[in-house]
Amino acid sequence: MNASAQTPFRRALRSFLEQRTARVGLALLLVLVTAALGADVFASYSPIDVLIDKEPGAIRLAGPCINALGCDGPQHIFGLDNNVRDVFARVLHGARLSLQVGFLTVGFAIVLGSLIGAVSGFVGGWVDNLFMRVMDVLLAFPSLLLAIAIVTVIGPGLINTQLAIGIVAIPIYARVMRASVLGLRDREFVAASRALGASEASILFRKILPNALTPSIVQGTLGIGGAILDVAALSFLGLGAQPPTAEWGSMIGGDRNLLFSSPHVVVFPGIAITMTVLAFNLVGDGLRDALDPRLQR
Amino acid sequence: MKNLRIGAIGAALLMVAAACGGSSSSAADTIAFAAKAYPEAGPADCADGYGFKRITSTDASTVVFELCAPDVAFIQKLALTNYQINDSGYLTTATADGSIVGAPNGTGPYKLKAWEKGSQIVLERNADYWGQLATSGTAVFQWQAEGAARLLALQAGTADGIDNLAPTDIAGATADTTLQVIPRAALNTMYLGMNSGIAGDPFEKLEVRKAVALALDRQRIIDNFYPGGSEVASHFTPCTIEFACEGEEWYTQDIAAAKQLLKDAGYPSGFKTTLSYRDVVRGYLPVPLTVATDIQAQLKEIGIDVTIAVVESTAYLDAASAGTLQGLHLLGWGADYPDPTNFLDYHFGKNSSPQFGAPIAEVYEPLMAASATADAATRAALYAEANNALKTNIPMIPMAHGGSALAFKASITGAHSSPLGNEELSVMSSDGDDTFVWIQNGEPGGLYCMDETDGESLRVCGQIGEGLFGFVTGEASTKPLLATACTASEDLLTWTCTLRTGVKFHNGATFDATDVVDTFASVWDCANPLHKGRTSVFEYFSLISGFLNTDACTKPAE
Repeated sequence: MNASAQTPFRRALRSFLEQRTARVGLALLLVLVTAALGADVFASYSPIDVLIDKEPGAIRLAGPCINALGCDGPQHIFGLDNNVRDVFARVLHGARLSLQVGFLTVGFAIVLGSLIGAVSGFVGGWVDNLFMRVMDVLLAFPSLLLAIAIVTVIGPGLINTQLAIGIVAIPIYARVMRASVLGLRDREFVAASRALGASEASILFRKILPNALTPSIVQGTLGIGGAILDVAALSFLGLGAQPPTAEWGSMIGGDRNLLFSSPHVVVFPGIAITMTVLAFNLVGDGLRDALDPRLQR
Repeated sequence: MKNLRIGAIGAALLMVAAACGGSSSSAADTIAFAAKAYPEAGPADCADGYGFKRITSTDASTVVFELCAPDVAFIQKLALTNYQINDSGYLTTATADGSIVGAPNGTGPYKLKAWEKGSQIVLERNADYWGQLATSGTAVFQWQAEGAARLLALQAGTADGIDNLAPTDIAGATADTTLQVIPRAALNTMYLGMNSGIAGDPFEKLEVRKAVALALDRQRIIDNFYPGGSEVASHFTPCTIEFACEGEEWYTQDIAAAKQLLKDAGYPSGFKTTLSYRDVVRGYLPVPLTVATDIQAQLKEIGIDVTIAVVESTAYLDAASAGTLQGLHLLGWGADYPDPTNFLDYHFGKNSSPQFGAPIAEVYEPLMAASATADAATRAALYAEANNALKTNIPMIPMAHGGSALAFKASITGAHSSPLGNEELSVMSSDGDDTFVWIQNGEPGGLYCMDETDGESLRVCGQIGEGLFGFVTGEASTKPLLATACTASEDLLTWTCTLRTGVKFHNGATFDATDVVDTFASVWDCANPLHKGRTSVFEYFSLISGFLNTDACTKPAE
């Protein structure tokens, strides 16, 4: 079967999988998704369970104990944290939370941003001007600083943090979508639909939007890593997830003073954040290359 | 009134002399001393039942304090860093424009050179100091909230001494031969506060407060999160202080009884509440978030769902004083002087703040009686009564007396820790270096310490100013500073203090008895035009006296 006989999806998939870095990203992502979905199965402990008085010998900040490597005590692959909780369980449940945060935040931003960008680009005129100037104002603020300001106003917490990060990300997707819509609105298939009597809303949402989504999806994939990092940063500062929730940023923030004396409590969540952001960035890059017609081989 | 006018003229002349360029001391010396009494109209009415009745300067080096009730800890209270004496003239000008908050003028071994806000405070040696000159020409206060960062700065050589080693760093620092680690005695208390005065809050109910008291395993918190030398608080005041631990010991954990109490209080399934804390390390609370998280986990066992909330330090202290912290709050107290009055009277006295709700008569009445007698047996019985009333009413749960440690470069001479947190930088020095750099946890809120409560402010003030008495370096016993001696009348109601002569303030003014009267009068009388500070609440003053003209007093910020 030659390339021209393939559906666009199969062609993009093949192009994606041909890239080594994309395959690495996908593999990392699969590991993370598996860890997140199977956290309850893989971890023997609850992420918020304080093991003092519950497990004999459980010592605060005890290092990793892996039975397969000769450790006799209860197995704690990543050791115990400052509050005598299993770090492995917290990292796995943190993966669940981080993935959820990443997808929800970016999803929220894509939906709202795309809607604003699509209407703005399609309608044009003063509507376009109004929307884009508002987006310009939002873009003018350093994103993390704006997110901190929003969380300060609406109060700390994971949901509010997601909302803040999502709001801050809206202009990016609005810009991307507007650019796509501007490129499509004067194309022949739009003129044809209009000639056939389709309403403007129908043209926008049924004809233009599906064809303009690809850049937003690529941008969104790249944005998930950034969103996870931003939420972790806010949680590190104490503005995001609140104790005892297992969230990577708050884990590092809470135990930051132990970096030298008990590195395991901050290194493992740190590695998890790095892996996740790297995974999404590699997948995002791969998708961009796979979906960009100019890079088709 | 005549005395006041003469005093005012004298003060004005002093200011003019100072403005004329450095000849203030000689000019001041030539001005005849004007005796002064406060209140001028006659003794105060002693409505609070304790504190000052009248303060009089009979001559330039004699001050007489008349008290409303005997106070056995009067000298120890005079030694508080808060009660530093200010120059009358400077007090007038610097309270008027508010500059006193950031530019203190004391008599101490160091004077303020610069306060670079957010960065550091630089002090320089007071060459005219009446006592032993500071061994280092410059002392620098810096601050760093992170324990690991403080230790790194010390190891890197950018600091000469640091406060509050993190518990997890003590072993490593002790093993480091380039450092010296000095433990600080656990003369403090960490408590879990509950405000019974907030309508609708579950902690209004005694059963709920008792349920929380019974739910907590305090030993587990000490064992896991406190360094060696710490102990569970059997009473609010550390037991190393005389009379502190009279009366019954605090409750031990009983989960079943706690659940039953919650049920009786109408919360069979528990309830949601907030646990507030400030992210500031103190000897009494070395790892705030970790301890808060463990309390959260322990209370979950009886169904209380706790949300942890961190509040900025100064705002947190203000809210605690104003009684606006809802739910539970973690706070502590480091001794200012080793007497139960310092712990109990401040928190639970008749004039205490609404931090835990309205003051409890069952507690403050024996406290007032105990502070007014020198008879040991009577004091013991009264403190037993007060401690038992605290256990019955449970305005808070005494949790821990926390040991802590300081670290210095091994080359530092004169390194010491103070059980009261009053480390004196003037006796510390490093060979070949005329600058001593100290890193503490936080930046002072202000340096007019009559109106400060935080140890970070008080330590800096302690280098700059002096009271009539102070504490022996590294100890909790008092020593005379600006007074050479104070003698009490037989009934302990009149204290006559003889003042040190030849002492000069940093602005060149000569210290005399008028300064003492004006310093105390400005805070004592809320209607006094000099009654101005950073907050103007002057919270610590209630340790020694109530206020005059209370209608004019500033209430703690809501």
